[in-house]
Amino acid sequence: MAEKEIFEYVDTSNIDHKIEIAPEDIKVIKLDNSIHETKFKTKPTTFLKDAFKRFLKNKSSVVGAIILGILVLGAIVLPFALPGDIDSTHLEELYLEPKLFPAGTGFWDGTRKFSGFTVAYDTVNETPGGYKKSAVIEGSLETKETLINTTNPYAYGGYVSFTNTIGEGDATSLYSYPTDIDLSTSGDIIMNVVLADTASTTANQLGEYEIVLNYDQNLENTLVLKSFSKDYGEISINVSEVLRENNVTETLLNRASFRFNLKKSADFASQLLIKSVTFNTSNEELKNTLNYIGFNDANAMVRINRSTDGKDNTNYWNCTGTKGVYASTLVMCNFVYDTYEAAFGLSEFTLSSLDIDEYIASGYLTYDYLIGPDSLVILDSAKSPITRVISQTYDDKLMVYTLQCEGYRYLQLGYDSMPIYILGTDNEGQDLMKQIFAGLRTSLLLGILTAVICITFGVIWGSISGYFGGNVDIVMERFTDILSGVPWIVIMTLCILHLGNNFFTFILALCLTGWIGTSSVTRSQFYRFKGREYVLAARTLGASDFRLIFKHILPNSIGTLVTNSVLMIPSVIFSEATISYLNLGLQGLPSLGVILSDNQQYINSYPYLIIWPAVVISLIMISFNLFGNGLRDAFNPSLKGAE
Amino acid sequence: MKSYFIKRIFLIFVTAFIILSLTFILMKLLPDTMPSGFPAQVQAYYIDQVQMGYAKDLTELTPSLGEPLYRYTDTLSVTHYIYKTPVMEQYWRFLVNVFTQWNWGTSTRISVNSSAIAIISERLPVTMSLNVISIVVAVPLGFLFGIIAALRKNKLTDHVISTLVMVLISIPSFILITLLLLVFAYGTGWLPSQWPASGADAATYAKAYIIPVCALSFGTIAGFTRYMRAELCEVMSSDFLLLARTKGLTKTQCVIRHALRNSMVPLVPMIVGQFIGILSGSMILENLYGIQGIGRLFTDSLVARDYNVLMVDMAIFTLIGLGANLLVDLSYGIVDPRIRMGAKK
Repeated sequence: MAEKEIFEYVDTSNIDHKIEIAPEDIKVIKLDNSIHETKFKTKPTTFLKDAFKRFLKNKSSVVGAIILGILVLGAIVLPFALPGDIDSTHLEELYLEPKLFPAGTGFWDGTRKFSGFTVAYDTVNETPGGYKKSAVIEGSLETKETLINTTNPYAYGGYVSFTNTIGEGDATSLYSYPTDIDLSTSGDIIMNVVLADTASTTANQLGEYEIVLNYDQNLENTLVLKSFSKDYGEISINVSEVLRENNVTETLLNRASFRFNLKKSADFASQLLIKSVTFNTSNEELKNTLNYIGFNDANAMVRINRSTDGKDNTNYWNCTGTKGVYASTLVMCNFVYDTYEAAFGLSEFTLSSLDIDEYIASGYLTYDYLIGPDSLVILDSAKSPITRVISQTYDDKLMVYTLQCEGYRYLQLGYDSMPIYILGTDNEGQDLMKQIFAGLRTSLLLGILTAVICITFGVIWGSISGYFGGNVDIVMERFTDILSGVPWIVIMTLCILHLGNNFFTFILALCLTGWIGTSSVTRSQFYRFKGREYVLAARTLGASDFRLIFKHILPNSIGTLVTNSVLMIPSVIFSEATISYLNLGLQGLPSLGVILSDNQQYINSYPYLIIWPAVVISLIMISFNLFGNGLRDAFNPSLKGAE
Repeated sequence: MKSYFIKRIFLIFVTAFIILSLTFILMKLLPDTMPSGFPAQVQAYYIDQVQMGYAKDLTELTPSLGEPLYRYTDTLSVTHYIYKTPVMEQYWRFLVNVFTQWNWGTSTRISVNSSAIAIISERLPVTMSLNVISIVVAVPLGFLFGIIAALRKNKLTDHVISTLVMVLISIPSFILITLLLLVFAYGTGWLPSQWPASGADAATYAKAYIIPVCALSFGTIAGFTRYMRAELCEVMSSDFLLLARTKGLTKTQCVIRHALRNSMVPLVPMIVGQFIGILSGSMILENLYGIQGIGRLFTDSLVARDYNVLMVDMAIFTLIGLGANLLVDLSYGIVDPRIRMGAKK
């Protein structure tokens, strides 16, 4: 051990310290090799690497870049990866809601909510009118009864109203369709009439009425069943008794017609509200005939037109005035509707024998036309589009069988499983997601191509103008001044009107003014750098103009140019979308702007059709701007936070 | 300074002349569209065109001239054949008509036989009121948010404002109006989803202004906020403001007396610049909201192929843009001493 050296000192609190240091504790690092022979430990960096490092420090720009990356990747991959085509119309798959989760989860599940009681409920089939029962989500149905004064296929009950105009004149009448009534067999005919005892509005008053029975070929024989009165409520008339009183001896009443006559009044609009007209008789045969005359559902009676053979369930009453319906009941409902089940689920459809033959050939099923529906044997239950044959008809002329079948629609449409459209389908049944990303791809392609052309041309123009200066500069500047005075929307409109709205016209129109910004940036860069000493030095050494421009001065503006070109892309997307709203959208290629402007009309009925493209275009604009601003800050730290 | 002004104004006139000439020639090169309406109206239109020199009435049919534009028989049962004059001749006649009679052309489809200037002047007030209201709303709000963000720099308030600015500046106004319509018109039903028909009461109109004004001004507010924040941040870190603090002024006094005043210099140019942005944005908005302004007229005439009206509408947009540019240049000249001095020597 070598000798230790001892150091002593007294600190501020008057305490003595002793430190012992042995020679081994001290290492002399530079004894024989000199410092200039070692390499730098740090790695050299380039301009771009440095900028990249700065860019990574800016969190929001990195987020922007990531979102941008995802969208661009989606635009490249999704149009190929997603099934289905976006060129033809798929009538079976219109307006399917966005679906990501299974139906019934209540969120993004392909269901559509009908609220505000706007859909009429079909009480006969127990489903919302016109909608498929199996697709209504269980437990979501709410109903509410309303009274309406118009006819509706799903309404029932109410009163047949007929109203006279104010003024004297002949009575108007409501009369049943002339029908033969056979009186040869026994049994009395009782006519039951139910009338409302208050008028429909205060403007009308119930009028005086009579009930008559007309018969014979021209309805010349008239029997008064009930003379003019103001009796309302339930009225019962024994028709047979009236016939006997009037000594009617015919056993067959030809073309008999019951008729309500309503008196006109000079003071008010007289009205009659008839709830039902029914007939009672003990004679079974007569009952059938009379059932065709009477009605007990005013809504149904007013709605129907008498068919030619006269065999409607409810008979048709004609009116010399205008007849309407008053206070019939319509059930309105709220419900949640699974659009996918409605489009692809188990349903009935008609197939021809050609389709069936194809299925037989594919080995899905066997079927014998001669035996009929019972002969269906399903061989491959996972692929057979039909599960049941309901009925079969044969067309003699075309010599084909037509089968009414039940089965899964998606199998029949050629899908292996129920399709799922994450962003739904549009008015042509095309996958919205595929459309959006295909449109995004077009927009990006347009943006990149435009940016490349504009940057190239702008750099050349700006370089020449800035480098040479003088008269060249003045002339070129005036040219850009004039060109930049034209609003881009005018240029685009003129170009499209002259050259048609195709991809290359768009590029041309966008490039016509797009390069001006780049050229002025380049020009000012040249003004800044062309007087520098290093340029003078290069010139002295014999560098040509070309070399000076492209090797010595232009690289200074590389950062600005990169930023410019990135920020040009969102502005191109914006221009493309804007011009689409003027009905001059890109044709022949899917385009975001055209999707947006086309779907604008569905903003109320199918809002997802406008929300999704809007979200995607907003995202791409925001992420491009974030990314571009990050790039600008990275290339030029002094501008950080500035405009 | 006078020579600077004269130079700018002269240049703007030359630019406007060249652009309008090109627009006219390009519009006239498009295939002609016959006016809609009854034969009498069509006849009146072509008689007018002949009088103005855009067409020629050649009563003797000379087949070498090709297909006539229009043919009619007058009261003396003379058949008239209307031919189009060459484009450059039409251009010359156009210049003569504009400079001598202020006649910019006649509508063929939008409102047959009425002058394009009349149609434009009928539609201009709505657009202008919408744009002016938007800018009036946007300027104070933008400055307010900008000042708040600058004073709370790098705090939560600043981050929230800056994020919103980034989002709103990126989203186009037609997307904004769509979203506003979805939420406030179709979703909640608080505001009308369409511009009211003429004759509605003042309350309805006031309500109808809300959505388009919001959609137009959000982007502008964001623009002003960003500008104000950047400008104030720069001024706040400058030496003279430090001096102001040192001599005993409070932070508020500093901001109001020194910092704000300094960043107000480019105020007028900024407002004018944003106004042009709003104007082009309102073109789509008028379509989406059913406002009968000049932006809507642009689409209407485009769809109806009423090129005479379209041409004047384009001219209006161009002239407003150029006028605004001129205003920017001139106001810079007045406000900024550097340009003012530079122009003097």
